[in-house]
Amino acid sequence: MIKVIKEGLFSTIQDSGRFGYKNIGIPVSGAMDQASAKLANLLLGNDERSAVLEMTLLGPTLEFMNDTYISITGADMNPVLNKQKILLNKTLLINKGDILCLSHSTNGMRSYLGVKGGFNSETKLGSKSFYRGITKREKLIKNDKIKFDQAISSPKTVNKNINDFKINRKGDIKVFKGPEFDLLDTYSKDIIFNTDFTIGINNRMGYNLVEPIKNSISSIISSPVMPGTVQLTPSGKIIILCRDCQTTGGYPRILQLDKNSINCLSQKTIGEIINFKLV
Amino acid sequence: MKRNNIFFKVFNEESILIQWNDKVDINLIDSIISYKNLIEQELSEILIECVQSINSMMVIYNSNKINSEDLINTLENLYSLDLKVGETEKKIWKIPVCYDLSFGIDLEDLSTSNSISIDEIIKLHNSLTYNVLSMGFLPGFLYLGMNDKKLYCERKDKPKLNIKSGSVGIARDQTGIYPQDSPGGWRIIGRSPISFFNVDDKSPCFAKPGDKIKFQNISLSEFNQIEINKSSYKIKYEVI
Repeated sequence: MIKVIKEGLFSTIQDSGRFGYKNIGIPVSGAMDQASAKLANLLLGNDERSAVLEMTLLGPTLEFMNDTYISITGADMNPVLNKQKILLNKTLLINKGDILCLSHSTNGMRSYLGVKGGFNSETKLGSKSFYRGITKREKLIKNDKIKFDQAISSPKTVNKNINDFKINRKGDIKVFKGPEFDLLDTYSKDIIFNTDFTIGINNRMGYNLVEPIKNSISSIISSPVMPGTVQLTPSGKIIILCRDCQTTGGYPRILQLDKNSINCLSQKTIGEIINFKLV
Repeated sequence: MKRNNIFFKVFNEESILIQWNDKVDINLIDSIISYKNLIEQELSEILIECVQSINSMMVIYNSNKINSEDLINTLENLYSLDLKVGETEKKIWKIPVCYDLSFGIDLEDLSTSNSISIDEIIKLHNSLTYNVLSMGFLPGFLYLGMNDKKLYCERKDKPKLNIKSGSVGIARDQTGIYPQDSPGGWRIIGRSPISFFNVDDKSPCFAKPGDKIKFQNISLSEFNQIEINKSSYKIKYEVI
C-alpha cells in the first residue's frame, strides 16, 4: 500500500485504457504517455498494461506501507527517496516506511511511477484508469491509500532496450490526413504544415493550439473521434483530442496523430512549439 | 435489398473509418447497427471495438493480426453479403419527464423564440416516438431523433456550466438526456427522475442505438415520488 502525504497537482491511476465501451460514450482513458507507462512496467517485469501512477507537472509525496520495487519514467520531477536523489528509468528497492517526494518537472509534463505487480485500485468496466463518473476518484487526494500486491521476488532482468521508449521530444508531430482534410481550401492545407503552433491550455481531454487557421468547413454530423484527432472549430481554433476525449464529435477532423506522436504531445507544456508533418 | 455505397478510410495505425454518404434516417441507423453486429460476430479475433455513429462507424482492430488493406477487403466482402445477424430485441422505453419550469429552465425562452406555447412544446415532445441514434458525449448520453420542426433550435452559444443529471434538452432536430451533472449547451425543457447510467451494472445503460424512446409527462409530485425510490424504479418498456 502507498499513502498520499502531499497530493501534488494532478495525479491519477492509469493503465492501457478502457476498451469496449466507446459505444455507450465512455472514453478510452489510460496513460497519456503510453510509452513511458509501458517502460515503467517493463522495468519491473510487469505486464506492460499494468496500472501506474500518472503525475502531472508537480508530483506528490508518497509513503510506502510495504516493501516493494518501483520505477519512475517520463518527465523528470527530481524524485527524492528519503532525502536522497534517485534516477529515472531504473528499478529501485523500497522498504516499508520509505518516503518518495516528487517536485516540479524540469523536462516534460507527466511522470510515471510503476510498482512491482502494478497498482491494485478498483477496476471499473475492465480498467483501473481514473475517470469522473466511472471511478470513485478522479484524482488522488491527501491521505488516499492505493493498494499494490506484495512483491515476492525481485524483478526479472528486462531484455527490452529502454532506449526504444525514450521519446524524441524535439521531433515533429506525425499525422495522417483526417476524414475532412480534403474539404480545407488549398491555402489552409498548405499553412497547416508550415506553421509553428504554440501549445495552449490543455488537459487529459485535449490540447488547444494558440494560432487559429482559416476554417472554410462547416460542422459535420456527430462522428467518431479518437485520442489524437485534430479538430477545427468554427472560429478556426485547433484542438488535439487526448485520452479522456469524448467518443464522438461534430467538428471537422482535419488530421489524426500517429500513436507515438500522442505520447510525444503528452509531454509538452503550455508555450511549447509543435509542427505537423505527414506520416 | 440494394446496399448503400460506403467508403473506407484508414484513420490511424489501428482504425478504419467507414462512411455512409446517405441522408440520415432511421433505416440507415438500422443498417449500420446490423453491419456492426456482423463485424463483431465474424471478426472477433482481430477486433478491438466498433464505434457506431449516425452515418459512420469506426472499426478499431489489432494491427499485429491484420493490415489495413486486408481488413478493408474483408470488410467490403462482409458488407456485400448483407447478412442479418445478432438481431437483438428492440424496445420502446417509456421515460417519465417533469416539465415544471424549475426543471425546464429554457422552456420560456424556447416558447418565445419559436412562437409556440409551453403546453404545445410538452404535447409535441410527448407525442413523438424518438429513435436512439447513437450514444456519446458523456457516458450514457442518448442522441434521440428527430424533433418536430416547431421545436427546432440551435445550441446555446455559451454552454451552461452545471446542467443537472436527468435533464432533457433540445438542440437542432435532436433531443438528448444528460446522464450526469455536466456543462452543456442544449436547451433544457424538463427533467427525468430516473438514472440513465449505472457503472456497476453489467450493461450500464438500459437503452441502445436502434431502440426507441417515448417521453411521458409527469407532475412535480410524481417526480419527487419516483426520485425517492430511484434505485428500485423499473423503467417501463414495450418490445417492438
